Amino acid sequence: MLPAEFAKAPQAFVYKTVTKATPFLKNDYSFQNMWNSSIGDDIIVYMKKLQTGSVCLPFIEVRGLRKIYRLGSEKVVALNRIDLAIEKGEICCILGTSGSGKSTLLNMLAGLEKPTKGDIIINGVNIAKLNEKKLAKFRQENTGFVFQSYNLLTTLTAVENVAMPLMFKGIPKQKREKAAKKMLKAVGLEKRMKHHPNQMSGGQQQRVGIARAFVAHPNVIFADEPTGNLDTKTTIEVMELMVKMCRKHDLTLILVTHDPEIAVYADRIVHLIDGKIDSDKKNVSVVPVPTDDETTAVVTENKIDLKKE
Amino acid sequence: MKISDMISMCFKNLWRRKGRTFLTVIGVIIGCCAIIVMISLGLGMNAAMDAMLANWGDLNAVTIYSGRNMYGDGGSSDQPVLNDDALMSLKAIEHVETAFPKIQVSGEYITLSAGKNDRYKASWMEVYGVDFETLKKMNYEIDKGTFPEGTDTSNAVIFGAEAAYQFRDTKKRDGGYVWKEMLPDGTYRQPWIDPMTDTIKLSVNNTKKQNDDGSYQSGGRGYEHKLTCSAVLMQDPNWETVYSVMIDIGLAKQIINDYNRLNGVKNSKEIEYSQIKLWVDDIDNVDAVQEAVEAMGFSASSMAQMRKEMQGQLMIIQLVLGGLAAISLLVAAIGIANTMIMSIYERTREIGIMKVLGCFISNIRIMFLMEAGMIGLLGGGIGVLISYIISFFMNKFGSGLMSSMLGTDGSTPISIIPLWLVLLALIFSSFIGLISGFYPANRAVKISALEAIKNE
Ligand SMILES: Nc1ncnc2c1ncn2[C@@H]1O[C@H](COP(=O)(O)OP(=O)(O)O)[C@@H](O)[C@H]1O
Ligand SMILES: [Mg+2]
Repeated sequence: MLPAEFAKAPQAFVYKTVTKATPFLKNDYSFQNMWNSSIGDDIIVYMKKLQTGSVCLPFIEVRGLRKIYRLGSEKVVALNRIDLAIEKGEICCILGTSGSGKSTLLNMLAGLEKPTKGDIIINGVNIAKLNEKKLAKFRQENTGFVFQSYNLLTTLTAVENVAMPLMFKGIPKQKREKAAKKMLKAVGLEKRMKHHPNQMSGGQQQRVGIARAFVAHPNVIFADEPTGNLDTKTTIEVMELMVKMCRKHDLTLILVTHDPEIAVYADRIVHLIDGKIDSDKKNVSVVPVPTDDETTAVVTENKIDLKKE
Repeated sequence: MKISDMISMCFKNLWRRKGRTFLTVIGVIIGCCAIIVMISLGLGMNAAMDAMLANWGDLNAVTIYSGRNMYGDGGSSDQPVLNDDALMSLKAIEHVETAFPKIQVSGEYITLSAGKNDRYKASWMEVYGVDFETLKKMNYEIDKGTFPEGTDTSNAVIFGAEAAYQFRDTKKRDGGYVWKEMLPDGTYRQPWIDPMTDTIKLSVNNTKKQNDDGSYQSGGRGYEHKLTCSAVLMQDPNWETVYSVMIDIGLAKQIINDYNRLNGVKNSKEIEYSQIKLWVDDIDNVDAVQEAVEAMGFSASSMAQMRKEMQGQLMIIQLVLGGLAAISLLVAAIGIANTMIMSIYERTREIGIMKVLGCFISNIRIMFLMEAGMIGLLGGGIGVLISYIISFFMNKFGSGLMSSMLGTDGSTPISIIPLWLVLLALIFSSFIGLISGFYPANRAVKISALEAIKNE
């Protein structure tokens, strides 16, 4: 039986119930700290109260994550005892100063780095235990990336860059370029299809980056300081574009930033200090982004197009 | 990732560094040309050697001698008799296509004559009994006439190219011989008889009766055979048939028996073949056949032995030349590896991005191997073309030199590039490329994606 407050909580919230006799509201269970309560050896089940009233497992679950870098004899504890549950469709900001371990966390969530200890379960798969080939497959099918420095291939045109994740999936050239062109159109770059990255502005390059991240209709988008190299105006454009796309298609977005002004786009803000979660709060004043933009429909269209054989 | 995409990425990357790609390809071209030209020279030498040996005798033949003279003496006593049984077992050796037995009728046994009152006579003629049917399968070339046809060929005779010059005019005091010599008008002197039109009489000698000139008299009635010449052979390169005539093998046996009877020679032994020539299906099997024959106790000879020795000497030359060529290809391989490593340094970030976006490391490895292999293949392809050009000019301007060295007619080219060499060169150079790309490709897949995409 869930407490009454839980039933009133917003849709995107994730609830943690504890089996094995632990009193449900033992440690001052509030919405603010429920994600990093330590539970000991008990089995943790995260639940989401859907509108229909049923419950389901979280999309991303991190348990007891720890990362230690060894530099010679010295140990750098980049992350320590991270517990986290992120729901499908949630926009989660990881906020922290430089060196607080944000990128390390994101990289481990994306399967780019192995944890020293702990588990990362995404969509029911423990990616900390996957081999390199399976990780690549996992990234192909589930993830999209937006980088601070865009990371486009300089030798390829915008279309080729956007189509690249589909190429790795083995989708034929014609099909993938059609999808890529639609994506570019959706991000407002229909006049830049054949341009190379060095012929575009930072904002345009980042739009190509976003188009590339969404082209394969992923489940999670990882964005590490996506606006770090952009001016204020472009920052807003880029953020709105990303958020809009995610909201429309119920995609999970992990947004890493040091900038509290960026964090306001998120549903939830996880504050990292020195590799530990300092606070994990619902963002009470989410910046509204209009999602009824027809350009966002392209992700679903592509999903349907690419599935057709 | 689709293979076609990997290929197109590979070409894109090669094209993007075209200057460097081109220089590396040049290295492979040089190495490839060196190898092809060297091997083609070796093949040319081998062909020239075969042509030269063919001048000396048939390369496909293994000749077995009885090792005894016509009286059945001599030779090693433990050598088996060259009779019909031996013929059968020789024929049964693997790779033997035909066996061509010969019986030599000693010049002492018979006299050939032609013209009115036997005016033109040939004593001590070399006469061989052969099977005309088998003879047709040998590569004897006919100058005039045809091989004996029909059911009864027992009275046919085939003349060697200059056998007719063996006939002398008995009316001339000086011995009456003519020989093939150039006359002032540029033609050759003709022999007294024309075998194609004159009837040839073969008579068994009676050694107890001699003519004034020391020649034996005929055995007379029943010991004489009228022969019709059906063909005159071309001069054969190893002078085997030039001064001899060939008659039916049955007739030869009869003559030997008649001679023995007429002259009271006591010889109960069966008639042996003086020589059996085996034709082998392929030059490369001659050696094996010869060994088989020798294992049966016969003494045999062929050109294979000499060919083998000469080939051994050529092999040494070819190995030295090939070794020099291989060094240049090795240098090219190092060039490829160097180019690939350089390009991996430049593309570290790119490789990192591809990995992050879900490219399989196996695909990355394949792309790099492809690039290296493509450099090899390109170099190989252009190398083949250039080798053909080099080969063409060498054959055009150098074949005179070669033929004068080896004494061939100059029809064999100095350098031969067969199709298999082209394919081998292409495969080999691609393979060299792949090998050189192996280490760089391994480095590429080991690049840490995170390190590569880190912000500077
Ligand atoms: N590859 C590495 N080797 C050693 N230390 C590292 C490595 N990567 C990150 N660190 C350390 O881990 C800590 C967290 O780094 P990072 O996650 O990049 O921080 P942020 O992204 O929040 O700026 C830092 O102290 C950093 O020095
Ligand atoms: Mg960082």
